[in-house]
This record gives sequence, C-alpha cells and structure tokens, in this order.
Amino acid sequence: MADEVRTAQPKEFYRKYLEQGVRPDNRELGEFRPTVLDIGSKNGSCISTAEGSALIRLGNTIVICGIKGELAEPKTETPTEGYLVPNVELSAVCSPQFRPGPPSEQAQVLSQFVANVLKNSQCVELEDLCIAPGKMVWVLYADLICLDYDGNVADACVLALTAALSNTSLPVVRVDEETGKTETDFKEEKKIQLTCTPISATSAIFEDNVLLVDPTRQEEELSTGLVTVVTDGKNICSLEKPGGSPLKDQQMRLCIERAFQRHTEACNLITQSQGSTLSTLTSPLVDR
Amino acid sequence: MAGVELLSDQGFRIDGRRPHELRKIECRLGVFRQADGSAYIEQGNTKVLAAVYGPHEVRGGRGKALHDKVVVNCQYSMATFSTGERKRRPRGDRKSQEMTMHLQQTFDATILTTLYPRSQIDIFVEVLQADGGNYCASVNAATLALIDAGIPLKDYVCASSAGFVRDTALVDMNHLEESSGGTELIIATLPKSQQIVFLEMNSRLHEDNLSAVMDRAVAGCTDVYNVLDTAVRDHVGETAAAIGGDAA
Repeated sequence: MADEVRTAQPKEFYRKYLEQGVRPDNRELGEFRPTVLDIGSKNGSCISTAEGSALIRLGNTIVICGIKGELAEPKTETPTEGYLVPNVELSAVCSPQFRPGPPSEQAQVLSQFVANVLKNSQCVELEDLCIAPGKMVWVLYADLICLDYDGNVADACVLALTAALSNTSLPVVRVDEETGKTETDFKEEKKIQLTCTPISATSAIFEDNVLLVDPTRQEEELSTGLVTVVTDGKNICSLEKPGGSPLKDQQMRLCIERAFQRHTEACNLITQSQGSTLSTLTSPLVDR
Repeated sequence: MAGVELLSDQGFRIDGRRPHELRKIECRLGVFRQADGSAYIEQGNTKVLAAVYGPHEVRGGRGKALHDKVVVNCQYSMATFSTGERKRRPRGDRKSQEMTMHLQQTFDATILTTLYPRSQIDIFVEVLQADGGNYCASVNAATLALIDAGIPLKDYVCASSAGFVRDTALVDMNHLEESSGGTELIIATLPKSQQIVFLEMNSRLHEDNLSAVMDRAVAGCTDVYNVLDTAVRDHVGETAAAIGGDAA
C-alpha cells in the first residue's frame, strides 16, 4: 500500500511523514544517510593504478574518485603553480535517466562546482605541485565517476575527492639543471599535504519551508530548491543556492550549522578509514 | 626473448602462478539499486563493474527497433585512472569501440533475443582498474549482471584468455604477459554445451600448437564458470533467505 502511495502521490506521501518530523527512510530531517568510505593508496587497496583513490557510498549513492598525476609545463604567468583538474562523470551506468553520449549539462555543472570548491578552499597549494619553476609541474587529474545515482552526488563527490587527495602520494621527480633531463624516483614518495578538508552539505527545500539534508533522488525530484554549503571546519568555502524557493535568513543559518556538523562527522570518517587496513573495494559495494 | 622471463625454469609465471592457474576471482551480484541488474568482478588486479537496464522501450529513434528480436546495446568504458598512463577518453576511442562491438556480438549470440521483440537491453561495462584480460572480465561481469537482471540466456558466457610461452600454454594472461608481444587467444564459451561464441587470436602461432592453447583457454572458461556459478547460487540463496523463502 505504502509503495503505491509513494509512486502515485509522492508529495502527499512525504507530507505525511514530514508532519511527524521523520523521513520515509527513518532519518531525521538533519541526518545524513549512512556513509561508508574506502580510501586506497598505491600500497593499499581501492584502485592501485591511481596515485590516490577513494570510493564512497552515501546511502545508495556510490561515487569513485581516482587521482592520476602527469607532468606538464606551467603557464608563463604562474611558473610555480601546478594544475588540479577535477572532472565529474555521470555515466549511463549509474541511472536509467542518463543516456550514453557526451557529458550532460548536469555533469558539467557538477564538475564546475567541484572545481570551485577546490579553488575557493585552496586545500591543495598549487605551488606544492611545482617540480622546477617555469619548466615542469604536476598536473593532478581528479576523475569522479558516479556509479549509482540516488541523489546528493555533489556531497558524495566532494567527500570522495577530499578523501582521495588526503591519501595521494606522488613519486619524487628531479630535473637535472644542466641537461634538463628528468629523473623519477618511484621508491621515494611524497604525500600531498592538504591545508584544509572541504566538506559539503546539501539540503533540499520541500514545499518552500522544510529543509531536508542529504536528499535522496526522490527527495531531489520533489524539492523546490537546493542549498549547498561547503566548509573547512572554520570557514565557509562556498555557498550555493541555484534559484528555487526563497529562504529566510534563519533557514540559511540552519543549513550552515548543519554543514559544520557534517564537517566533524566526515573528518572522523576520513581518519577512521585511513587507519583501517581492512578496506577493499568490495566492502562499500557489498555492505548494505 | 623479452627482458622479463614470463615462465621460469621451475614452471612459475611472473606473478607466481602455474601455467594452468587462473587469477583469484571475486565477484558479487546486485551491487547497485538503480540498475535492473548489476555485478562487480575482480580477476586478480582487473576490476570491472557491469550494469544492465532493460528490457525496455527502444530509445533513440524507433528505426532501431527490430520486429523479431531485442536490440542489445552495449557500452564499454574504461575509467581514466584505470591504466598506468592516464587515459584521455574513457570511451569512444577505437579500442573501446571495438570492445563494445565484441561485447554486443557476444551477448547477441547468448541472450534469447527472440523473447523480447521491439525492445532494448542495455549492458554498460565500466573498467575501474585494468591489468589484462579486460574483455574476459567484462564478459564475465556482464553475464552476472544479466543473470541478476533475470534476462533469459542460453547459458552462462564465460571468457578466458591463453598465451603461449616457451612451448607452454598459459591461461588468464595478466597485463605484463599480454604486453610482451606473444600470442594471445581470447575465447568466450557457453560452458555447458562447450560452444564457442567468441574467438580472437593475435600474433603468430604454429598450427600444431593451436589445439594446446585452445584447450587451455577453454579449460580456463570452465574454471571461470564454476566460480561464477557458485557466486550466483550463493546470491540466490541469500536473496531467498532474505525474503523468507527456501534457498534453492
């Protein structure tokens, strides 16, 4: 019976639950779905062909992030800065709503969002990626692939990226000043230092007044707007509210408060996953 | 002979396997919620995901619909971080297109296509980490995903590869063995009827040796079949237990 109401009258169905202050999946309004994180490194698990990787499962949403490093020449205006290029892919694998073909508008918007988060938070010092000023720098490609789409991919992407970056090591490269030849030392690896850990929290606005944190796909479809707040624990790195129903100052504050709460949660999760040696790629894909 | 020795005098391969041994296979059915069927497989360091959608209405123009059988639509894609050097394009390059075609032909021959006229079945394969035997892992993953989706098949399709080094046939080649430039024979079979649905061989091989290599590859397929069948039975058992029925 409940399933029929859910499909036929989803709004009515949600309204009934929200009147009681809970959601159909037993969550409170400000509660995130259970999050499982698997961080890999070259010596660890996850993706061993990547310099750093992470797989995150947020409820039923699964995102995998792989970081690859390449060498390139820096721009002439910024000779000491490397590059960090994020790319989000919403492939046809993850949902029947996405068709095979060139990246959709939504995927491009997400890529830009992730790029903005990286730029605004400055969590990776681009100068750390410099090998020889004006000659050679690292380019880090952060590719995020959504494997299962059940809402709130933005938060999953940011967490996967932060987790993967926090565990990325690059081989040490030296450039011979005289000959200009490069030498790569694969035995000696240097970890990337993050200056901060940006974490995002998205809320969906339901019927112009209720704020649902970490919306599922159905909640996203029903919502009248989304708000995303990215924090690094102390500062707000990015705030995004692309149109939708207007919000009061107080509600905006609630979103920000929730983002700070989420930051503590997520940071604990990252530290825990780094400590555990059990993690294999199968674990987040298997546990339900 | 190449710089590395692919088969030692003691009869061990570069990763410590004997010539007839497969890499370790780990697989799991039903990993995603959105897809109608999905599976994840690890064959050694090769990790592949497959998702199946359908049968559903034909998308992208009615002209594609076939009046007497289902359209099997495949997409093979490799994550940009799956290989040693970063891949520029995850799909659409010539090699991926070829792989897509091969998968399509393999499953066209295996799915009972006449049961769903004027419909479409999508098979999406994503390689997360590549270490040789990508086609084989893709086929095995897609088979599991199709079974998970409940799509009628003639039989499991199991794929394996074999090479020929120092007068010995090696089954289930890894990336290093593949890239050494020797013979590689890739085969996909229907294990119960021992029929071959797909066969590809590159590089030269003396005719006398062909049967040895073929036999080894077919034996590999049978071994793969046993692993996949156990996984499917376990999965069905778990699912049945979860909904309160008796496990088969």
